[in-house]
Amino acid sequence: MSAPASLRQLARYPLIPVIIAMAIGFELATGSFVGSQNLLGIATDSATLAIVAVPAALLVISGYLDLSVGSTYALGAVAAGWFASAHGGGLLSCVVLALLAGLAVGAINGFLCCVVGLSPFIVTLGTLTAVRGIAQQLAPLPLTGFGDGFAWLGGAKIAGLPSPVAIALLVVVVAGAILTLTPVGRHIYAIGVSREAAYLSGVRVRTVPFALFLGTGALAALAGAIKASVLGAVQSGTAGLGFELAVLTAVLVGGVSLAGGSGTLLGVVLGVAFLGILQNGLTLVGVPTFWQQVAQGLALVVAAGLAYLAPRLEALAAVRPQASRVSASAAESRPASRSAMS
Amino acid sequence: MTLRVTGLRKSFGGVHALRGVDLTIEPGEVHALLGHNGAGKSTLIKALGGAFTPDGGTIEVAGRTYDGLSPRQSIDAGIAIIFQHLSLVESLSVVDNVFLGQEHHRLGVVDRKAQRAAAATLLERLGATCTVDDRVGDLPMGQKQLVEIAKALSRDPVVLILDEPTAALSSHEIGALERTVRALQEQGLAICYVTHLLGEVERLADRMTVLRDGAVHVSTSLLGKTRRDIIEAIAEPPTDLPPRAPVHEADPPQLLVSGLTGPGIGPIDLAVRPGEIVGLYGLIGSGRTRTLEMLFGRRPRQGVISVGGRTVGRSSPRAALAAGLALVPGDRARQGLFAPLSALDNALLPAQGTLSRFGLRRRRAERAAFEKMAAGLAVHPSTPDAPARAFSGGNQQKLLLGRWVNGILPTTVLLLDEPTQGVDVRARHEIYRVVRTIAAERRTAVLFASTDPEEIVALADRALVMQEGRLVAELSGDALDEDALLHAVHQSESDLQEYLS
Repeated sequence: MSAPASLRQLARYPLIPVIIAMAIGFELATGSFVGSQNLLGIATDSATLAIVAVPAALLVISGYLDLSVGSTYALGAVAAGWFASAHGGGLLSCVVLALLAGLAVGAINGFLCCVVGLSPFIVTLGTLTAVRGIAQQLAPLPLTGFGDGFAWLGGAKIAGLPSPVAIALLVVVVAGAILTLTPVGRHIYAIGVSREAAYLSGVRVRTVPFALFLGTGALAALAGAIKASVLGAVQSGTAGLGFELAVLTAVLVGGVSLAGGSGTLLGVVLGVAFLGILQNGLTLVGVPTFWQQVAQGLALVVAAGLAYLAPRLEALAAVRPQASRVSASAAESRPASRSAMS
Repeated sequence: MTLRVTGLRKSFGGVHALRGVDLTIEPGEVHALLGHNGAGKSTLIKALGGAFTPDGGTIEVAGRTYDGLSPRQSIDAGIAIIFQHLSLVESLSVVDNVFLGQEHHRLGVVDRKAQRAAAATLLERLGATCTVDDRVGDLPMGQKQLVEIAKALSRDPVVLILDEPTAALSSHEIGALERTVRALQEQGLAICYVTHLLGEVERLADRMTVLRDGAVHVSTSLLGKTRRDIIEAIAEPPTDLPPRAPVHEADPPQLLVSGLTGPGIGPIDLAVRPGEIVGLYGLIGSGRTRTLEMLFGRRPRQGVISVGGRTVGRSSPRAALAAGLALVPGDRARQGLFAPLSALDNALLPAQGTLSRFGLRRRRAERAAFEKMAAGLAVHPSTPDAPARAFSGGNQQKLLLGRWVNGILPTTVLLLDEPTQGVDVRARHEIYRVVRTIAAERRTAVLFASTDPEEIVALADRALVMQEGRLVAELSGDALDEDALLHAVHQSESDLQEYLS
């Protein structure tokens, strides 16, 4: 790739300069932001978000949506924590149990959305509520006293990295490979752009998003189990409460369109990093939690505004030379022009 | 003077859709606007409707001159357009549709009584049989169209433009519509009537303007003109297409269909031999698209379909594609193209699995395949990474052809629905050339559907004529010409004439 092309690629990620600016600002304000200790802390805190935001992003690119991840996260934490504390379950059995619980939720979501064809918004809003109820039913009281085996999941070092970070990296690499290196990756985009056209092209328009629901459910539950292991305790009523909104915020701030068909994994990783840095930096500076929430919300709206404006500004710049007389309608005239050619 | 268009120009990305069109329509005149797909009829109408700003020229309506119109200005100036795809809200009642956006109100409260009375008067004037309270979605096509006309008339227009108004109507409804048009003409409206059908021109129009390649080819009074004269005015100079592929009668059919039946369709029997191009001709609503979609497994069906002698089992696009049967859909924007994805992705999406190794894509092989496809189909520009939306309509269509004809997928039967919809004249001829070449060189069996009789004659070796879901005639060789097609598709036209008189 030539230099200008890679520069243009970079220009597609406005979060990169924003993150750099934030890092400089926080460093100047605190003097302790940029340091391997703090940066690794941010990475560890953001790892569970990344583990879920990545598959959730693939789902959104394919034109679907999973709001139930917050409760699936709680169910995974409860399933693994319950087995670890009540039955002395080891690492493998706890993780498998959490994954199975997540796959079950994913299968229900996938069946209703992809096979039956119900709205993913409604279905996963329903499972968000229902699965939380199941998690609370299974573990009405806080779970603690996990064995060493399960503690390894959140506390170990893998290749010098905290295990949550290593697992998140693995998820990013595998999802990135699927999205860019395999035909299925193209199918995910194609389904998101036009399910009908993908169907008529022979793409498996039910199987592919179904598999993404399975993956999202499984990884949400795994993220819950990891967090339970890190904290050494699970409370079914509060674990992962509002997590689905953090996931969706990361995905959307990362430049994935809710309409489907566009977005990149690098963008999503940047979105996760942005939210992690924002929270960490504001905490260091001493901003109260409530104001941090305000900042996160504003960031989402600003990112959405940029995503909305960018193609319109581009279109406006492209038509300006010829349409000098009526510039107000120039932006709309562009999409109309294709269909006018009959 | 009611409507005068002078020197109207518009180009889209280097394609000149209108190159200085003049058109004058007088009050009380029915003016037929004719021309083939891509001649510029729709672009002209859209300019009058305010869909875009012209690059040059003026539009004069009732004494006022405009450089360009916005949709609002167009309505205020007195231009009313009835598009083929009606702009009605199906879930609302007739009266609510008629006054949508211009409700009669008193102190901000909708005056239902006044609206109902006004709507009833309009509908009566048009001879509509529906009532003001009917839900529009429940009405037959002909009544919907009258509601749309009522909506247009409620705004007190001076010009009424009808874009192929009979394309989706039954012959009975056509008669009623033609009487409505006559009545409106007598009331002094200037009427612009877009159509493919010569019978309608003969019966209704006072003048005709023929567009060709974005310019006025002929504009003349129809007084004393015969059908022959009209056909000669519309006919385009012959173009040099590759010769038709020889079809061997001894060859077993590549596509053999027997007893194809579905909702409102069939039973249909047909056969297409290797290298043969068969045209499926019929009016809008005759079932051409549904037939192709049933063959491709897009819609449920009964009957036996075999490709190359082997029966296609399941009814699904995947099963059809595995058997070598591919469809290029007619609604390019919705069913065919992935507009934001790259040209390469658009052309090779179904082939990427075959090209990949150990589940991973091989970019170099994909690029080589794309280049070969782009060269064979003359895709321009041949850049694999540009998004498909950046291509012209004709080249988008070639990308969709390339999706199935790329030397990787085993396509032996190609189904094309309206293969030249929304492309300009040059691209149309290039698509004809590509289809001919595919049939000749790969011995692909081609079945294409079209509402344009000229397209059928230009491209098909043999034509099947469709009416209300059934094949009613077969034409080939010297018997295949536009007159014969029009006659076959309007077999009940004699009844229609009787009904009108």
